[in-house]
Amino acid sequence: MKQILLACASGMSTSLLVKKMEEEAENRGIDVKIWAVAQDKAVKELGNADVLLIGPQMRFMKKKYSKTAEEKGTPLDVIDPVAYGRVDGKAVLDHALKLIDG
Amino acid sequence: MNSNKLMDMLENFLMPIAEKLNNNRHLTALRDGFMIALPLIIFGSIFVVLANLPFLDMLIGEEAYATYQDALGPASAATLSIMGTFVIIGIGTKLTESYGIEGIFGGVAAFASFLILTPQTVEDVSGVIPTAVLGAEGMFVGIFTAFLAAELYRFFVQKNLTIKMPAGVPDAVSRSFSALIPITLTLSAFLVIRIIFSYTPFETVQNLIYTVIQEPLTALGSGLPATIIAVLLIQLFWFFGLHGQILINSVFDPIWYALNDENLQAFQAGTELPNIVTKQFIDTFLVGMGGSGMTLAVVIGIFLIGRSRQLKELGKLGGPPGIFNVNEPIIFGLPIIMNPLALIPWLLAPVVITLTTYFAMATGLVPKPAGIIVPWTTPIGISGFMATGNAWQGAVLQFFNMAVVFLIWWPFLKILDKSYYESEKKEGNE
Repeated sequence: MKQILLACASGMSTSLLVKKMEEEAENRGIDVKIWAVAQDKAVKELGNADVLLIGPQMRFMKKKYSKTAEEKGTPLDVIDPVAYGRVDGKAVLDHALKLIDG
Repeated sequence: MNSNKLMDMLENFLMPIAEKLNNNRHLTALRDGFMIALPLIIFGSIFVVLANLPFLDMLIGEEAYATYQDALGPASAATLSIMGTFVIIGIGTKLTESYGIEGIFGGVAAFASFLILTPQTVEDVSGVIPTAVLGAEGMFVGIFTAFLAAELYRFFVQKNLTIKMPAGVPDAVSRSFSALIPITLTLSAFLVIRIIFSYTPFETVQNLIYTVIQEPLTALGSGLPATIIAVLLIQLFWFFGLHGQILINSVFDPIWYALNDENLQAFQAGTELPNIVTKQFIDTFLVGMGGSGMTLAVVIGIFLIGRSRQLKELGKLGGPPGIFNVNEPIIFGLPIIMNPLALIPWLLAPVVITLTTYFAMATGLVPKPAGIIVPWTTPIGISGFMATGNAWQGAVLQFFNMAVVFLIWWPFLKILDKSYYESEKKEGNE
């Protein structure tokens, strides 16, 4: 099962995205676990995830997460603002899967 | 210069500021420390609202109402009135944790250090701690104490001034022993500070920080100019796609919460509320109207005047979360970010609303915020009612403000919609 972690300020707007991504994954028959957390929880949860995606409004957190992510070998990236605004589950899921598969 | 270059330039300018604000160890600990206190503060707030339900005294009679209020009183007394306690423990814990050390001992060391600095007499009765110092009055001393105590504690831990237990001793036992020396040294340092201060004209650290830092800072923070600057900075950060609220709050929250608590104490005592600008002023009357930038009015505008597919889709997407003040879909989807057409209403509307709200409260048309912390996800109307201490005027002000925001956005939204509509039509024809 692929584990996708999303992080934003309080995990609110990213959880909108989680729902859309889950729908998309189910349509494609992909086995994933997707969950959203507040920014201060992301480092702790990083160990359980295959990939970390950050809400674009919190992109200044990237540097802070990068150290831990590198240690654990977890890829991370900032979500594309356009996809974020459209709550585009398909695009963000593709982005996440691409990062996991390297 | 093309827009990509401009975006890159602004990114290069703003990102370091955002990173500094967010990665500053002490500001982050401050913000996360308040987060620890938040559930308790909200619990207490709900009971203040319940204890002051309108018309209840007429319904059940004065005497029963007094009994009812007394019964609910401890809920807020144990949480809201002593919110400084949780903030101190929260900051101490989070700051210690940020050094990769177990946080809880840093947290309790911070609280104990604060109590050491606190005068433990009330009107010649010794052995008591006045709750006032655990609330608004002690907020700043608490914050500084938590910073200093956590720094001292982690310093002693990092210097390895700990007792090492032999192997085989249960983990919990060895952990509490490992904290023994660092805690002893930290608290001793604060005892020395207290003793030194008792020989100065200030007598206590409380007096010094209260008169030299807290009073001037909160006076500045409660003023209109500083508030407008804070609001503008929040909007400006957001315009470049950075979470302005979380960045600016980390600086302003201590001031706004202290002002809030002053109001709460006055509200519960039934005296006049001293402050207009408080945490609630921002959270309820600005953020509480659809999220940062009050975009619920924009969603309504989309439903009323939107002809383009793009905006209609966005309205459906952004409407439901917008009711609960989550508005990233609107901010990134309209888009508001880096959109010159959106810049004017985006900056102007919050400033105008700050003014209307301020003057509505200054003139007494609408009661000032009662110091009740309403969760920021509370929908418009309900939040205004609760925040002003169950006053319908608070809800009306929110709806009035929303109409103002709508009028400010209207021409800009119309132009935006028209350009989307025309490009959609062109695409359809091709």
